[in-house]
Amino acid sequence: MGVTVLQPYPLPEGKSGAHIIDHLAKRLLSLGATHAGQFLVDCETFISTPQHGTPARAVHVLHNSEYPASTFSIIDNGNGKQVALVADSIFDLLMLKMTSTFTSKKQTKIESRGARFEYGDFVIKLGSVTMMEHFKGILIEIEYRPCVTLSYCWEMIREMLQGFLGINVAKEYPTYFTTQTIMNAMGQQQLHAKQNDIYEPMDTVKQYLEHFTNYRKHVQIHGAMGGGASSVGTVGGGGPGGVLLPSSVGMGGRS
Amino acid sequence: MAISSARESLSHALTNRFLPNLEYLLQGSILDSAVEHLMHRLKGLCDNVDTSPEPFHDLEVCMSLRQSQSNQPLLLRVRRALGRDAPFQMRYLGQPEVDIRRPTLVRSCMDCACTNGILDFLSEMGFRLEFEYIAKGYMFRKGRMKITVSKLIKIVPGKQQDMANEPISQSYIVELSVVAPTGQENVGEEMRVFAEQLKPLVQLEKIDYKRLGNLP
Amino acid sequence: MSNSVNISVETTCENQIREIAYDGTELYQPPPTLSESLAKCAARIDFSKTSLDNIKKEEKSAAAAADDDNKDANQFQESLWPWDAVRNKLKDAYTEICVLTDVISIAKDKRYLVLDPLLEEPDDTKPIVQVYSRKKAISQAAQVLLGGAERIRNAHSEQRSRNVSDFHIELLRLRQNWRLKKVSNAIIGDLSYRTAGSKFGMSGTFEVTKAEDALDDENSGNNTGGSANSSSSSSNNGMQLKASSALRVIVPSELQGVAYIKVITQKDQEDLCTAQVNLMGHGQNLTAQVGVWQKTLEFAQNVLFCKELFAQLAREAIQLQAPIPHVVIGNQIRATLLPNIQLIISLCHSTSFDSSQPAPINDHDHVLEHSLHQLLREVHYKNSHHPFPHPASAPLGPSKKRMLAGPTAADRDALLDMTKTQTILEQIIAQAQHIFMRKRTQYVLDTLARDVKDPQIVSHWNAMNSPTMSCVKINIVTHGYDAIGRTSLVIHVKERSLKCICRDGRVMRLSYEPQELRDLILCQINSHQISCLVSLARCMAWTVLSNSNHLGIGKVEPLGNASSCLLASPNSDRMIAVQIRCDPQIDVKVYIARSPRQDFFPSPLVPEKFWENLGGNFKEVRFDKIEGKSFLNKMEFLMASLTSNTA
Repeated sequence: MGVTVLQPYPLPEGKSGAHIIDHLAKRLLSLGATHAGQFLVDCETFISTPQHGTPARAVHVLHNSEYPASTFSIIDNGNGKQVALVADSIFDLLMLKMTSTFTSKKQTKIESRGARFEYGDFVIKLGSVTMMEHFKGILIEIEYRPCVTLSYCWEMIREMLQGFLGINVAKEYPTYFTTQTIMNAMGQQQLHAKQNDIYEPMDTVKQYLEHFTNYRKHVQIHGAMGGGASSVGTVGGGGPGGVLLPSSVGMGGRS
Repeated sequence: MAISSARESLSHALTNRFLPNLEYLLQGSILDSAVEHLMHRLKGLCDNVDTSPEPFHDLEVCMSLRQSQSNQPLLLRVRRALGRDAPFQMRYLGQPEVDIRRPTLVRSCMDCACTNGILDFLSEMGFRLEFEYIAKGYMFRKGRMKITVSKLIKIVPGKQQDMANEPISQSYIVELSVVAPTGQENVGEEMRVFAEQLKPLVQLEKIDYKRLGNLP
Repeated sequence: MSNSVNISVETTCENQIREIAYDGTELYQPPPTLSESLAKCAARIDFSKTSLDNIKKEEKSAAAAADDDNKDANQFQESLWPWDAVRNKLKDAYTEICVLTDVISIAKDKRYLVLDPLLEEPDDTKPIVQVYSRKKAISQAAQVLLGGAERIRNAHSEQRSRNVSDFHIELLRLRQNWRLKKVSNAIIGDLSYRTAGSKFGMSGTFEVTKAEDALDDENSGNNTGGSANSSSSSSNNGMQLKASSALRVIVPSELQGVAYIKVITQKDQEDLCTAQVNLMGHGQNLTAQVGVWQKTLEFAQNVLFCKELFAQLAREAIQLQAPIPHVVIGNQIRATLLPNIQLIISLCHSTSFDSSQPAPINDHDHVLEHSLHQLLREVHYKNSHHPFPHPASAPLGPSKKRMLAGPTAADRDALLDMTKTQTILEQIIAQAQHIFMRKRTQYVLDTLARDVKDPQIVSHWNAMNSPTMSCVKINIVTHGYDAIGRTSLVIHVKERSLKCICRDGRVMRLSYEPQELRDLILCQINSHQISCLVSLARCMAWTVLSNSNHLGIGKVEPLGNASSCLLASPNSDRMIAVQIRCDPQIDVKVYIARSPRQDFFPSPLVPEKFWENLGGNFKEVRFDKIEGKSFLNKMEFLMASLTSNTA
């Protein structure tokens, strides 16, 4: 139980994913991290057939090998409302009971898998993202275990990302954690500083879903943007360009 | 060394019959006036006689989803322990199979513990509330058999926690059930023998819901 | 096909010829339809012809059958409806049945009518014979009754006179404490722990019989069978309950006798001990109400329990992968706790009761034996006490933690931890190691406290501790100078290691070697002396020029080293240097220097007196000769005398 930050690794031109992963792994090992098994995060999306009046609903079902007894699911009702659920792994079988209403889109099945490293209190996972056996990019997951609030340890995680992995990371919190407007129970809008929340495993899954969705969109657009470095940077919000996210950055500064 | 996905390990459990997915069930009812006697007998018959019977107080909500292909809606029951910090339990029950050769009713069954967002989650999926009630009573165990003696309480809408809710009838429902993986046929016999021991007090039978009409 | 020859086949005439025309053509009667023939056949049934006498008549009227047939046919032709005759007959039969049921119900009810068999013809026996036979029968019955009464009377008088308890009362008492059931004619009991959660395969059934010839047995003294031990054990106990017991229990031979688990912690090989513990003296608190069988059954149950415990331990000893493998030989398990220290668990089961055997309890560890019993009971309890699921529809079986694991997203390590359970053997080894470590720590602290008089070492052991962890607080003080300084540290004694927490927050982990603890305490004494001296010097207006807890001279210890301190008198003309070494024992060296020297003679090299302020030669003080009880006391005197000299 700790705080996890997910960071896409920009793919430089003319280098294969496997090469980069290999390079990063060697770097980690030589700096003293130890190899500690494998990991896998997968995501399958079920879409309902849109009926009269109601928009198509999507149920994202994710698994994280770090939490082997659980199935994470997030429903998007098509109107912007999301409900998250953590359940036993038997939830998968229940989803299969609803196949007449919710059909699985096999071609969007996406996963990130790779090696897991430990270095002191940090857990680093180098994941290569594949969709339908096609390589999509590299996602680096970094977890700092002794802490449960991002605002207390973001600097340390950032230092780790920059120092160990050589990624240039902006000083601001990642987009997932930035202050956002939420609807409270009374139906009023209020600002919520997510970086001060107690971190939960669901947050890791939501970050993965965010990135997976971006990879999928990227496929649909199929914009042949060079290497994906710029697009990934935009998506992750971790790129140096804080300018790309004017509103969120502003709020993050205020809190 | 490669890590297997959750789906793979689940199907592995299914094919190797680790996963308990069949419920064997016998049901009966007993009048309020006689339930004391039944409790005494159960205390004598069941495990852990030294401890007092375990009380429970649950709210069950049944949600249904219209399926486009079949006219039978998909029913999911969500149970919550009132006054206790326990995860919600979602339950899928298949069509009961009343086979004359088997001593009990058998139906497929899936139990899934979830976080408390489940009701919201299901309504976003398109599920609608079918019915809800409170079950309050005691449970016992004998080996792998679970015996519940429960009072069903009607819910006045919007007053789940209220004491004003009234019992549905003047009797308790008694259920004897085992959830086991497929292929364990001796469960039914074990249950029949146990039901036999409760006989004059309560008649545990396999109740065919289809005959009772469209009752829950 | 083309070559085949056509053959016409004509059926023989089966139907009756109704008419032959003049031209010779035969007109056949059409065959009856199926319904016609059925009606015809049905009409022929005589529903009243089922009883025996009717059959006789039938034979008589057999000849007329043919005519009847014709008549029937006529009737059949004549009647309005073909089934009329059948209906009439059925109606008659129905009426008869109705009457019959009425008669039966009346006869069965016995309120209105009683059926008695009719006497065919009265017996022509003579009345005198009848009277005689009746008399004989009655006298026989009377004899049986008298005999029974006599037996009951005897039994009653015997009971009253000899105070022999009733079998059934005894059985009732037995039933209140033990599980019994009746199997055909025998009464079988069960003393196994299966209902309490045990999964041990050995059966614990015993049989209950009535002690018919209790008197004979006692007189002759040669008992046979299962009750032999019970009786002899009772006499061994000096409890002469035998005479008053009308009930006897027969325990299977493998459960007879007395068993116990012997636990020995052994240092080095030669310390082997063969102690026999006689538990016969136990259990004196039995109520006199229950018979000797209570004791027999309790012993048998204990035997069963010990056997289960040992079987469990032996299985675990073989399965466990220890660095030094555990050895199981016969009734003995050997496990290595620490180098040269072994734990020996043995099952002692004796069926002979020689009171001549001495019972020296040498190294037997009662605490560990008790822990073993407790651990197995815990296993039993866990087997039978599963948590109930909430809400009630949740599956039965998984632990509370496992139920929460899904929705709370428990991680891999937490799930792995759930699957791990410590075996009984592992737990008992851990407890034994801890006991040993505790004893060792106590010994080290006590010997140090005895050997080191100055300062005093006071250790406080926590009264409350767990089986694998205890805690001791150590205070180091100097008598008379308690207010000046006190060094305290806490030591957690674990299974194979010690954890020392010093006052400054330093945490040190020590191994099981006692020398390490000794060194640590000595170093703590060092630093205590120095820090107290520093405080004392401040009180006396001396200046502390420097102090160090780790000089780095002599043997370099990982936990501490020689310490030193340099003090200057209030007007800085004298200095005291102190060095305390702790290896191998505490050794104090004190040096003094004075500057400037009082007798100054100018020389070409040192022309002026002020050069003397640079410091002079240190001279060692014979510290043991200085007056004073303790180091601090001596130092106080020394400082005081040096101060007064300058005044």
